[in-house]
Amino acid sequence: MNPYPREVKAKILLHRRIGPDYFRLQLACPEIARLARPGQFLMLRLTDLKDPFLRRPFSFSQIFRPREAKRKPLDEVAVEICYQTVGRGTRLLTQLQEGQRVDLLGPLGNGFWTEDECTRVILVGGGIGVPPLLSWAQELRMKGSGKKRPSKASEVPPELVFLMGAKSKEKIMGVGDCRKWGIEVQVATEDGSLGMKGMVTDLLAREIMTGQHGATAIYACGPNPMLGQVAQVAEQFDRPCQVLLESRMACGVGACLGCSVKYREEREPGQSPALPNQDSAAGEEGEERENREGAIPMISETSPFRYARVCMEGPVFDARRIFWD
Amino acid sequence: MGSKKEGPKISVEVGPLRLKNPVMAASGTFGYGEEYSGIISLKSLGALITKGLSLKPRKGNPPPRLAETPAGMLNAIGLENVGITAFIGEKMPFLRKAGCPVLVNIFGATEEEYAEIAQRLSEVEGIAGLEVNISCPNLKSGGSLFAADPKSVFQVVSKVRQASPSFLMVKLSPNVGDIVQVALAAEEAGADALSLINTLIGMAIDIKTRTPILGNITGGLSGPAIKPVGLRMVWQTAQAVRIPVVGVGGIFCAEDALEYMIAGASAVQVGSAHFTDPRVGLKIIDGIRDYLNAQGIPDVSSLIGSLKAGQDTRKNER
Repeated sequence: MNPYPREVKAKILLHRRIGPDYFRLQLACPEIARLARPGQFLMLRLTDLKDPFLRRPFSFSQIFRPREAKRKPLDEVAVEICYQTVGRGTRLLTQLQEGQRVDLLGPLGNGFWTEDECTRVILVGGGIGVPPLLSWAQELRMKGSGKKRPSKASEVPPELVFLMGAKSKEKIMGVGDCRKWGIEVQVATEDGSLGMKGMVTDLLAREIMTGQHGATAIYACGPNPMLGQVAQVAEQFDRPCQVLLESRMACGVGACLGCSVKYREEREPGQSPALPNQDSAAGEEGEERENREGAIPMISETSPFRYARVCMEGPVFDARRIFWD
Repeated sequence: MGSKKEGPKISVEVGPLRLKNPVMAASGTFGYGEEYSGIISLKSLGALITKGLSLKPRKGNPPPRLAETPAGMLNAIGLENVGITAFIGEKMPFLRKAGCPVLVNIFGATEEEYAEIAQRLSEVEGIAGLEVNISCPNLKSGGSLFAADPKSVFQVVSKVRQASPSFLMVKLSPNVGDIVQVALAAEEAGADALSLINTLIGMAIDIKTRTPILGNITGGLSGPAIKPVGLRMVWQTAQAVRIPVVGVGGIFCAEDALEYMIAGASAVQVGSAHFTDPRVGLKIIDGIRDYLNAQGIPDVSSLIGSLKAGQDTRKNER
């Protein structure tokens, strides 16, 4: 069980444009930063007014813990989120000024977890899906650091490769951070303006063939079609794959059931953390309204499923549990 | 926060139900209580109403289930819930310790299902009452909503009344021709109180793909946008019935809650505002106290139905 989230007024330490429509926002919030784990998220309140009505969810792109808090311009324990302007809410967000305070609720959801016996990690990020993987890449890189000799195999940092994809080079971010942390980066852009011309999933298909793919774990975040393809590659090579999903959310704490996704019920080895209410929704008469063509992914008759809350059971899921079509 | 001694009285009575303050958490926005228990003290609430419960678990609707709208939101959750067995076994142990009265929102697809769930819950310890959600399709009458027809409201509420001695609050839908007729039918069938309004049916469209945003196409509109509608319906209903009315719909701050009480509500429910501000209920309670202090009003109950509008005012509107 995760600790309860905190609601805090966080000071904006840094707010920068980092691409045509990408922004970086660093927030001083010790209460959240001390508890936060890579893959978890926070809900940010856009306004004190009644409109826009809902908070917005953002995954942590970096978590600045007390130990490493001596950085400029940060002098406080903080978290960082990155966002892309996609609608009214995020456009409003761009107006926030450094020094201003903003209402946060977090940390929320379940973060990434390490996969047993995986000594090699491939991170696959598409567009604004790259930043949430950065905090995890950093944590994996720092594993066992500070100890002279790692006492357990699990404390040895795995071999890391970060595959990044976007439409064009302006939308690639985090390369510098990764280089700084000593993480290998490969880039694919759809227009070929940086790295390989093509999709990040092409990089994955190539990368998984090399090295010790039998000991590889995959972590991915990005648009759903991309995640579906990543999941397919993982399935093909029978490798564990965790995906960080995005969803429209209202409460962020598991109360409203608004962010749910279809979730496969079968038990398979190496599963994600135990799910609450596991039995409750199983095997009952489907409440699915009649499936309209195209509106709802068709699930075969034989796939038992339930709806899992992205905010509580996720946002990180075992890719095999998600319906991708 | 000011000194609490000698402060105004903010406890209210909703029929036989005594609440330490008039602010309840509305069904569907507060889960089963535990989801918010680490963020706010449930003890401070007047009452909490759990997510709508049916006999069997329900999976709910396909996503997307949410759409933000101007000063509000649409939801089409599809009444997903754990079912009565898991509710009693897994949710009630926590709820018994919540420290505030717990009302259980119930629904069914037939009158018999409503009666059965009400009967089974009446044997469960720690439940202060039931809120009957009648905004559901009646499977035996071609899927039209129970709430839409005073006759079917009378029948379903009568069945629940016969099945359970518990405090019964019937939650009315605004998606009806004449809310007063529905309210009178529920009262006649033996309801102890009425709560209104449930969400207004609406929809949203993605113009790029020309598809509905919600997986279910239509959904329930809630949030500040619906407050004027709720207020009008509470005002109309409170004048027509003798049982207490509880105001719901778009309450976001103490002023909103006070408006509802002045219109005739004995208490209020806070719903979607929890998503924006998990502590909104507590802020509203404080705000009501501040208002009473500032106005020199010793008892919040004296506000209920105190709207200064004569019959003439009402006639002149038409």
